Amino acid sequence: MNPVQGFHGCYRRIDLSRGTDELIPIDPEVLTRVLGGVGLGTWILHREAPLGVEPFAAEAPLIFAFSPLVGTGVTTSAKFAVLGKSPLTGGVCDALASSHFAIAGKALGIDALVFVGACASPSEWVNGTLRPTASWGRSAEQVAATLSEEGRVAAIGVAGERRVRFATISADGRHAGRGGLGAVMGAKQLKAVVVRGTVETPVADPERVSELAADLRRRATGASTAKYSELGTIGNLLSFDRLGVLPTRNFQQSHFEGAERLAGERWRAERRHRRASCAHCTIGCEHRYGYRTGDGEEAQVRVEYESVFALGPLCGVDDPDRVLAASRRCDELGLDTISAGATLAFAMECGERGELEGAPRFGEGDRLVEWLDAIAHREGLGDRLAEGSLRLARSLGGDAIDRAPQVKGLELPGYEPRTMQAMALGLAVGTRGADHNRSGAYEADFSEGADRLRGDARSVRLAIESEDRAALLDSLVLCKFVRAAFDDLWAESAALLSAVTGVAFDANSLRAASRRVVELRKAFNLREGGRPEDDRLPRRFLDEPIPSGPAAGATLPAERLAEMIRGYNRGRGWDAQGRLDERALDDLAEALGLDARILKSDRASRGAGQAGSRG
Amino acid sequence: MGRPKAWLPWFGQTMIEHVVGKLASWMDEVVVVTSAELDLPVLPARVVRDREPERGPLGGIRDGLAAIESPLAFVTSTDAPFLSALHVDALFDSGGACAPVAEGHVQVLSAVYPRTATEQADALLARGEARPRALLKALDFEAFDARGGDHQEGGFAPWHGFNTPEAYLDTVRAVDPGATAEIELLGRAALHVEATRRAVPVGTLGEGLRALPKELGLVEKGRVARAHLVSLGGRELVRDLGVPIGPGEQISVLDALAGG
Repeated sequence: MNPVQGFHGCYRRIDLSRGTDELIPIDPEVLTRVLGGVGLGTWILHREAPLGVEPFAAEAPLIFAFSPLVGTGVTTSAKFAVLGKSPLTGGVCDALASSHFAIAGKALGIDALVFVGACASPSEWVNGTLRPTASWGRSAEQVAATLSEEGRVAAIGVAGERRVRFATISADGRHAGRGGLGAVMGAKQLKAVVVRGTVETPVADPERVSELAADLRRRATGASTAKYSELGTIGNLLSFDRLGVLPTRNFQQSHFEGAERLAGERWRAERRHRRASCAHCTIGCEHRYGYRTGDGEEAQVRVEYESVFALGPLCGVDDPDRVLAASRRCDELGLDTISAGATLAFAMECGERGELEGAPRFGEGDRLVEWLDAIAHREGLGDRLAEGSLRLARSLGGDAIDRAPQVKGLELPGYEPRTMQAMALGLAVGTRGADHNRSGAYEADFSEGADRLRGDARSVRLAIESEDRAALLDSLVLCKFVRAAFDDLWAESAALLSAVTGVAFDANSLRAASRRVVELRKAFNLREGGRPEDDRLPRRFLDEPIPSGPAAGATLPAERLAEMIRGYNRGRGWDAQGRLDERALDDLAEALGLDARILKSDRASRGAGQAGSRG
Repeated sequence: MGRPKAWLPWFGQTMIEHVVGKLASWMDEVVVVTSAELDLPVLPARVVRDREPERGPLGGIRDGLAAIESPLAFVTSTDAPFLSALHVDALFDSGGACAPVAEGHVQVLSAVYPRTATEQADALLARGEARPRALLKALDFEAFDARGGDHQEGGFAPWHGFNTPEAYLDTVRAVDPGATAEIELLGRAALHVEATRRAVPVGTLGEGLRALPKELGLVEKGRVARAHLVSLGGRELVRDLGVPIGPGEQISVLDALAGG
């Protein structure tokens, strides 16, 4: 038995080219040092990804990582992480989804499922059997319906098949959405992964786990999560508008005149509404709203702020039926709504400027679905949009790159950096690119007395803290919506993890583990050619003041952001350029049994670069 | 005061927009001297950052004078909504340093200073002097008798200002006894009421929130409840119930967990 309970102590490595299937043991010490989920997945990525491998190459790994809390009944713990090399950024990509897939996958008696190689023809992997698929060309939802009797399903839609660089992997209707790992799966011609295990999770102290889980469940009911259970993330939209942080028309404004039409507060009174929960979750943040399809029929779609912001205000669209239909279409096609909306919005601005012939236009809600189909099927101009905003900007040349809404190739989420300057730092330094899930620096901006229009040393400190907290939650894995239920995230997580694993964790050891996970991600980007100048925001945010609305005149001077980035690197113990020193890399290699030569490889100095890092 | 005077609402504008707007309609150039930390709205003025605020008001006046091109400058504080063109013109008519004197007080922040006074200001600052009055004295300023009411607006002297929330609110109520602010409920709070926008009389934030249905639970232990956060004019985020909310102000009650 694995001495660290809560884990199985191995991962399953399936080579789709060679047809091999093997169990790879994981050193128990490593498990205590990187935990599970994103931490474990990043460690496997370091081991399995050949140096400089292209994201779509057969050799590139696709990793489904589970975590120690999966299967314990702790609220919101039924989550899994998918990792690989992002076809958008060329760096580390870790995307999470909540699903029964996590429970069924871990019950295979493994801590991760790793696919390398590629299938010779479209296939599906079903509980250890690789077989041709009849589902190529269908939506992930349709695939899941077809295969549900055989287990829990993670699948890609048409966008993944066509290698759209922001394609998702879907499970139970939730998406491992950001960074394009659906396209990596598509490049392997792997349509679906189906799992149904029967191995129970070993737990060190079941009674204590049960007691702690009940306590957390109690605290996660009520005020600490009421925002999510009563209204959901769509509640952000109107508040963000009033604060001047709602990105509008490709970040040209931060206030949308049509915001009220897209407000969840208003929809609750006007639209059919249903609430649901993810697997093993007591919060129930999922809010589904009715809308009229183009054919006049009534349908329902799960609504999140990020989807509505990206397909609504960012594209200048205020018709709720059109925005909800577009969100639903993204789900069906397997498109990341943020990157899809942001790439469309960028194309719209380029069209307005006469830089892109035949481009979509701001406000054309009735054509959103048509454009999403063109992207997913790579038809016409959709083929160029399927490459994401960075590559589209490069193909246009000139100063288009200054307006492409991306960092390292990943499109920005719905937070205006000029009016949320702690978040601006989090977006600039994120290893996954512009990211609101790996940095919760927005909490610093939205705290009492914070000056969100003037980032400073406090913003830096809070941005680092939020990144560490996110690394912990993403490695345990727990949903971030439960964060306010903890009085002391570090100590309480340590108690929970100790009871599950039988290893004596404390707040300090978890802080160390979280920092290690952040460093592992950074080290992966560095070994793959990441450069200091990748930590930046597009020039638009540094040159143009907010023109109107409650935050009119707000600016983010380049030097202020640069100073915050220097402070961030100092705070992390990295050099001024954001590099880990040799000793830190040696320590990381030794602690985690990784090849120090590869960790210390500096491809950037040899002229190589991340796919997404070159402006 | 609990919030920057520059951002206090004044009947549809911020205080600084109101004051600078007046000055810009009378003057060839307007320079605003402010601390390095304070953001300002877009203004028809040049903004100079006071790099050494510890020097006190004299240091700020010195930096402002160094920035102007005109030979004479009218200097005012931010919280002077009743400035009048008559008052400013009368001071300029003296042709040199000139300040109103009322009830024995020299109004040093409603006075005219010559651009060339920077040298005297530097000398005073070097001696550790921080009071503008010392500069006026060094300039042998002309005292303007301001006892008459010709330059008053609504019964208030041109230099009338306020240093406490109560003084600010008293002034607002004197100008318009029916003045109101608007509170908009957003997020969860909006789900529990029929009308999400409410006009409330100007007052403290606490008075405004207590005018809303108690079952919303917006106030807790003398502060804005932990589940909520309040935005003033879309900029400041506060929980202090003592801050004043002014005429025409837009107040938003948000979920505390905004984001995510």
